[in-house]
Amino acid sequence: MSPSAEFVQKLPTDLGGASADRIDCRDHELQPWEKRCHALADVLDYHKILNTEEKRRGVEALGTELIGKLSYYERWVVAFANILFQKQILTPEELSIRMGNVAARHSREAAEQAL
Amino acid sequence: MTSAIAENKGPIVVMADGEAPRFQVGEGVTISVRFPIGHYRVPHYIRGKRAVVEAVIGPRALNNEEEGFGRNAGQKRHYYRVAIPLTDLWPGYAGSAADGLRIEVFENWLERKE
Amino acid sequence: MHSHDHTPITAPDGVPGYYEVMETAIRELLMERGLIRPGEIRRQLEVLDSRTPQLGAKVVARAWVDPEFRARLLQNGRTACEELGITFYDDTQLIVLENTDKVHNLIVCTLCSCYPRPVLGLPPDWYKQKPYRARAVREPRVVLAEFGTVIPDDVEIRVSDSTAIVRYLVLPLRPQGTENWTEEELASLVTRDAMIGVITVEPRERVLQ
Repeated sequence: MSPSAEFVQKLPTDLGGASADRIDCRDHELQPWEKRCHALADVLDYHKILNTEEKRRGVEALGTELIGKLSYYERWVVAFANILFQKQILTPEELSIRMGNVAARHSREAAEQAL
Repeated sequence: MTSAIAENKGPIVVMADGEAPRFQVGEGVTISVRFPIGHYRVPHYIRGKRAVVEAVIGPRALNNEEEGFGRNAGQKRHYYRVAIPLTDLWPGYAGSAADGLRIEVFENWLERKE
Repeated sequence: MHSHDHTPITAPDGVPGYYEVMETAIRELLMERGLIRPGEIRRQLEVLDSRTPQLGAKVVARAWVDPEFRARLLQNGRTACEELGITFYDDTQLIVLENTDKVHNLIVCTLCSCYPRPVLGLPPDWYKQKPYRARAVREPRVVLAEFGTVIPDDVEIRVSDSTAIVRYLVLPLRPQGTENWTEEELASLVTRDAMIGVITVEPRERVLQ
């Protein structure tokens, strides 16, 4: 069997029994956007627009590098985008345009508050 | 196909495929060995292991591996909570021989113990 | 693989980061399409905020003082919680795992982060990260020792790995010397980590109100 097959067969999130470090018990208070992200996942699941299991698969599909580099809710939101694209609910173009608008709006609001 | 038997009357209904649990509490089973790609909910560390059914989970539910691809329908089957000694999972396990794993497995991943 | 989910990085002036912008954009687009309604996210935030370890502590304290409730709880964790007004908005089932003199239970989700959210709220970071998920099923006694918990060799450790629709809650042993305590006093002893199973409930001096 090809030596690379194990990387295809084993999900990067299938961690039971892997060697790992000491547990780091530091926790963090969730930021408001992280809570909104969680609420969004639940609401999408209620509607079966994006069910919980699809979300899990979406996170798995990010692959080892992104899973390692992104935080928990960062992984969720990127997974949402990918799945919504696959389902043709959103397009990458639409999302990118809206993200640009949102970022610009935030910058304006921050500038106004600074005055 | 399993018939539900009424007391002293013989079969009175034909049950749908998957309606009756295939395995009972206390039964020995083996976790299947296969390697789906893309998504699965049976971790590698239990594949091929022998287990004992500790509970039949009700009500029946969808196949979560199929749900992962957006299938919100399909033939419902049972999940089973099964027990596997940690010494069977990990060579050289250093804890107590009585230590064990409990894990839920969907019916399509279990086979009768050979 | 090094996991990076420690404190999220935000710009020092509080300007939303890249992922917050993505979350906001997705939410707005879905609302504009009529796929989700504005009130739904707000409502779900309230649902989530209302779920904390205090709920689980109430369940545990009730089980400690009421043997019939305890029996119903062990028979069907979800319906017993519903008796106390704790609803299961996510359609999961609950199995309550009873610690005894002979058995100590521990819960984990090796594949992701399944956790009894309806009755405990959201899980701590460490529960969702690689070290716990990898090692809890492999060397539970060493993991427990890292939390300061030593389980004698003649006590069996059972590790429950959630992979499907069932969630777990550990029913810890009631500490010695609490025979006359009220349910509220008992509940105040029960922490989230004891209901995950990484620590036991320790007795402490009773603080009379």
